[in-house]
Amino acid sequence: MTQRFLSQAELTALVAELVAAKTRVIAPVRAQDNPEQLDYMPIQKLEEATFGAQVPRRSLKEFFLPATEVLLRYVQTKEGVEIKAAPTEAPPFVIFSATPCDASGLDVVDKVMNWDYKDELWFGRREAATIVSFLCAAMDAVCFCTAVGLGPDSFRGSDVLLVPVEGGYLAHIITPKGEALLKGKGKEEIPASAKAAAEVAQSAAREKVEANLAKIPAEFAGWLAKNFDHPLWKTLSLRCHGCGACASICPTCHCFDIVDEHDSSNEGVRRRNWDSCQTSKFTLHASGHNPRGSQNERFRQRIQHKFSIYPAKFGDILCTGCGRCARACPGGMDLPTIVGELMAMAKAEPEGGSNL
Amino acid sequence: MKELQDLARKLLSEGTVKVVIGYEEGPRGARAAFITDPEKADKLIFDTRCVQNLASYLNPRRKQIALLGKPAIVVKGCDARSVAGLLRENQITRDSVVIIAMQCSGVLENPGIESDVELTSENVSVRCGGCDVCEPKLFDHYIKSAHPTVPPVNPKRAEQLAALEKMTPAERWDFWSKELSRCIRCHACREACPMCFCVQCTADKGTPLWIDSSSTPRANRAWQTMRVLHQAGRCVDCMECERACPEHIPLGLLTRYVANSVEKRFDYKAVDDPSVVAPMSVYRPDDDEEFIR
Repeated sequence: MTQRFLSQAELTALVAELVAAKTRVIAPVRAQDNPEQLDYMPIQKLEEATFGAQVPRRSLKEFFLPATEVLLRYVQTKEGVEIKAAPTEAPPFVIFSATPCDASGLDVVDKVMNWDYKDELWFGRREAATIVSFLCAAMDAVCFCTAVGLGPDSFRGSDVLLVPVEGGYLAHIITPKGEALLKGKGKEEIPASAKAAAEVAQSAAREKVEANLAKIPAEFAGWLAKNFDHPLWKTLSLRCHGCGACASICPTCHCFDIVDEHDSSNEGVRRRNWDSCQTSKFTLHASGHNPRGSQNERFRQRIQHKFSIYPAKFGDILCTGCGRCARACPGGMDLPTIVGELMAMAKAEPEGGSNL
Repeated sequence: MKELQDLARKLLSEGTVKVVIGYEEGPRGARAAFITDPEKADKLIFDTRCVQNLASYLNPRRKQIALLGKPAIVVKGCDARSVAGLLRENQITRDSVVIIAMQCSGVLENPGIESDVELTSENVSVRCGGCDVCEPKLFDHYIKSAHPTVPPVNPKRAEQLAALEKMTPAERWDFWSKELSRCIRCHACREACPMCFCVQCTADKGTPLWIDSSSTPRANRAWQTMRVLHQAGRCVDCMECERACPEHIPLGLLTRYVANSVEKRFDYKAVDDPSVVAPMSVYRPDDDEEFIR
């Protein structure tokens, strides 16, 4: 891993160069319907982007797993069924000023996408994307990336991490893709003062998030697993509507449903659409029975999957601590507070288990 | 506030109800509270941040709430209209809930953590303008405000509605097609709605498949058209759908537009009197019916 110094002008020129070469460039911009919020959107020049002001209201997920996408088209002919699969290769694109939590989220989800089956559409886009993250200084009271083992300066999932310093940016070049993007750009010699300033900024950012929630201990996953039937689940999610807005904006919620939709009697498409375990239909059996009959069971699933099942299977918490779910919830469910309360219970009764 | 807390404590300790659904101070501002212990009745609050329509929790699909036992619910006058809607449509019975109505002087459009924000025409909820239920009529207990005032009017809503009225049908089609193109078909609008209580929504039916579940222009329009038509004469303009929408589609504007159409055609507004029959559930010989001539 190397470092480079980039001036603002050099970064602007880099974006201009990419756009001129018809590479799609995505960055946080002021939302069209609400200038107080940010959306990741394609940009034509760097000035359109807003760097590090706040966490964009939706994650980067949709650029890799769209809310709806065509898997294949089919046509029934006299000879049989003709199938045209969607291309799995994507044209290269660059994301600027990703929050480190969003970049990390992609890396966390990579594990399930390459588990029992390699999701070619996901990885086609992952390979096409170069991600330039930006040291997050936008944390608010619901951010808790450091609690899940990440951080506002986390390298995970990023190809480059930019840290603003006097006169420009210190670029941490993390991967060969990042190396390729910045080849011949900027300077290799970095003033010692810039290096020191970057370190100070990074640790200050970390400390700010750390104050929100303590780091989740490794034992937490096991404690959740053995307290699957704890009475706590009966009161934890009373205010939850089960609307699933949390899952839509979550950088790591990746469940989808596959449907065939007919355009006419002999042709149609197979699509996959985002789905959420927070709605009752998710587990509804054909018989009418629903093993997760109330929101208590559905919310337990959300917590168990993110903080126990996924860590046990893949070694990662399925949460980046971005806080979006808490910001968006119309019912006032607050994940960092809930996780904090659960951690306190786990600490108070570490040997407790309700499953016995 | 004390009057509300004392009442909740009394209702819980004498066993009249098992849970009081109200508002409490949460980590990010006011949020729904479910008080089951009379000792904790002091947590209840009521101020301009209490935007959420708690009547959604009386919706029979909220099984996790039903498990707690008989509820008392804190409502603003506008929310009482949702309770009336659930009574009118036989989703709950009058003796199954204790209604605690608050005299309200308006709520914020985007409440934050601070509790003593003064309401202005800029920060007040767009739905508070012209409120005629600051003094509710449907209640078992009525708690008066110490300083009742008429809420200021946020002009944004009237401007939006006027702009919609001015459009030609083709322009309005384009406007909504563009807004609804962002819909991801998560159905959060439905889940948060106090009046969406169907055990199985048409949008969830697979055999036959009425509406494609994918987010496509055709399916998005079909879904929202069906939803708002089912809300005609039932929606109380609480805007829970819009608050829930992760794509920030102005769904409240859509339902309000339909509510206005119902008012114009049928001289009916969703009121807090459950005995008033809704236009879509009654046949009147003097109905215009000009659309089928």
